[in-house]
Amino acid sequence: MTLLALPSARDEAWRWSDLSALPALAERKPSGAPPHDLPWLGCAGPKLAFVDGQPVWQEALEPLAIGQVNIPPSDHALGRLVGKHGWKLKLGTDHAPAGLVQIIHVTTGGADHLPAKIVLESDAQASVIETFIGTGWINRLSTITLAKGARLMIARRLLADGGFVSLTDRAEIGEGASLTVTTLAAGQADSRLDGEIRLTGDAAFAEAGGALLARGRQRHDANLVVRHDGIGGMSRQVWRSVADDQATCSIAARVEVARDAQKSDGEQSLRGLLLARTATINVKPELEIFADDVKCAHGATVGELDADALFYLMSRGVPGEEAKALLTGAFVAGAIDRIGDEAVREAAHADATRWLGGAS
Amino acid sequence: MKDQMLKIENLHAEVDGKEILKGLSLAVEAGEIHALMGPNGAGKSTLGYVLGGRPGYEVTEGSVTYDGEDLLAMAPDERAAKGLFLGFQYPVEIPGVSNVQFLRTAVNAQRRARGEGEISAGDFLRIARDQADALDISMDMMKRPVNVGFSGGEKKRNEMVQMGIIDPRLAVLDETDSGLDIDALRIVGAGINRIMRKPDRAVLLITHYQRLLDIVVPDFVHVLTAGRIVRSGGAELAHELEREGYLNMADA
Repeated sequence: MTLLALPSARDEAWRWSDLSALPALAERKPSGAPPHDLPWLGCAGPKLAFVDGQPVWQEALEPLAIGQVNIPPSDHALGRLVGKHGWKLKLGTDHAPAGLVQIIHVTTGGADHLPAKIVLESDAQASVIETFIGTGWINRLSTITLAKGARLMIARRLLADGGFVSLTDRAEIGEGASLTVTTLAAGQADSRLDGEIRLTGDAAFAEAGGALLARGRQRHDANLVVRHDGIGGMSRQVWRSVADDQATCSIAARVEVARDAQKSDGEQSLRGLLLARTATINVKPELEIFADDVKCAHGATVGELDADALFYLMSRGVPGEEAKALLTGAFVAGAIDRIGDEAVREAAHADATRWLGGAS
Repeated sequence: MKDQMLKIENLHAEVDGKEILKGLSLAVEAGEIHALMGPNGAGKSTLGYVLGGRPGYEVTEGSVTYDGEDLLAMAPDERAAKGLFLGFQYPVEIPGVSNVQFLRTAVNAQRRARGEGEISAGDFLRIARDQADALDISMDMMKRPVNVGFSGGEKKRNEMVQMGIIDPRLAVLDETDSGLDIDALRIVGAGINRIMRKPDRAVLLITHYQRLLDIVVPDFVHVLTAGRIVRSGGAELAHELEREGYLNMADA
């Protein structure tokens, strides 16, 4: 790995990120030994696993493909590090893969950078789940293009035991098309999530949200911009952050509405839950509206567990730690319940429950 | 001599540095139903919360034993596992946690604490359905988040459903009758009698009015004024209070 040019905390878009671990991770040699069991969901559909950036496992790959990925160069500080080889998902008009598309990214300790390209033609639809595990640095740049009426659901589970996961998305959503990206960070790695979603067609829909769970000295940092260019678009950004110990979760979410994007409907709900007074949660909701006939709402709150609810649960016999886990789980469910695919939603609930250390 | 289930001696307790209970003594034995009455601000709810172990209610003097053990040394969940149930005047809403999930978690936690095995999902649902039916709460409501969107009366009936499922030995019920219309009062009163009127059970019924005591007839009535019990008697004392008010009680 050559010298890394990383942004500093003086850059507004990076002020809450701590990238100081990345140079060392970039120099580290991966062990090359992936775990025996990969966390596949028991669903039919294409399956693909990368270990340290190399495709090592695949099943019923079609319509997924691996190889050269042509995407426009990115000026994103981390996104620009990706190479030319990665994975593609291209669906023709009206097409849909048979079942859930599953991709697992494993890092055995080093750094790997991969591009991905998803193109859905008119009325095509797909449901994708990406799972990230291991101990190194996984860096991804994904471009998503949805033509008229296409529907794409992406769920991401960040379950790595350490290291860093950085995901950068660039999405364009055509007329009447719909994109839902839900991210659950329930591992021990730090993360940086960037998304730039543009509703280019009229009546397009975008939802970008998730749950960020952090403890110890962990840091999660999400930066999202949803831009309404078409008329009558709808966007939802629902995030739930939980921080314990000295951990930090940060979310900057912006809705931009262009001058001609009348009848746009944007909503943000950014909520944080502090499990310790030493933890930090930053929420930064932003609206930038140039059209005059729009409906945009945002709510941003940071708080602690409700002491009354905690006592109520304990008075019924639920031990304190279990009561906290139950209430925290209910808080997190506000984001996870928005996942439409039942198998994926159940898996995300199980991940969150495991993180909370409770048996449901 | 019968088992002395609950023994409160010279209890002093304060909230935010203000002394509310000022030397309260009371003994409740198995098989008895005690009513605790008194004007607003007398310390009735404070006593309930002290017995339940609510944080912020500090005991400065005196003792409380339950089956001979120091109740005040136990965490709220330990008290519950030993058979104490606190019925809330204002039951708490818990968004995102269903009644069924909450109660199954509670019942299993109590069983684990007592060294018993967990209850199966099927057995639990059967018990939950029986108790909900008896209190005119639908299973649909049982699947909804705890108390969210429930009317005042529904919340109180839900407390009794919880009591029926948890099946405690000692119930401390804080103004379970407040906010109930006459039909709901009958349903709740019948629930208390059905679940708790047994030789090995006891109830401390904290109430403002005598109405509930026509249905749940107490063995003893105590009058709490300014943090102390100023008079005790039988069920007839409640009627006397209803006629004459609390004002003349302190001189008894």
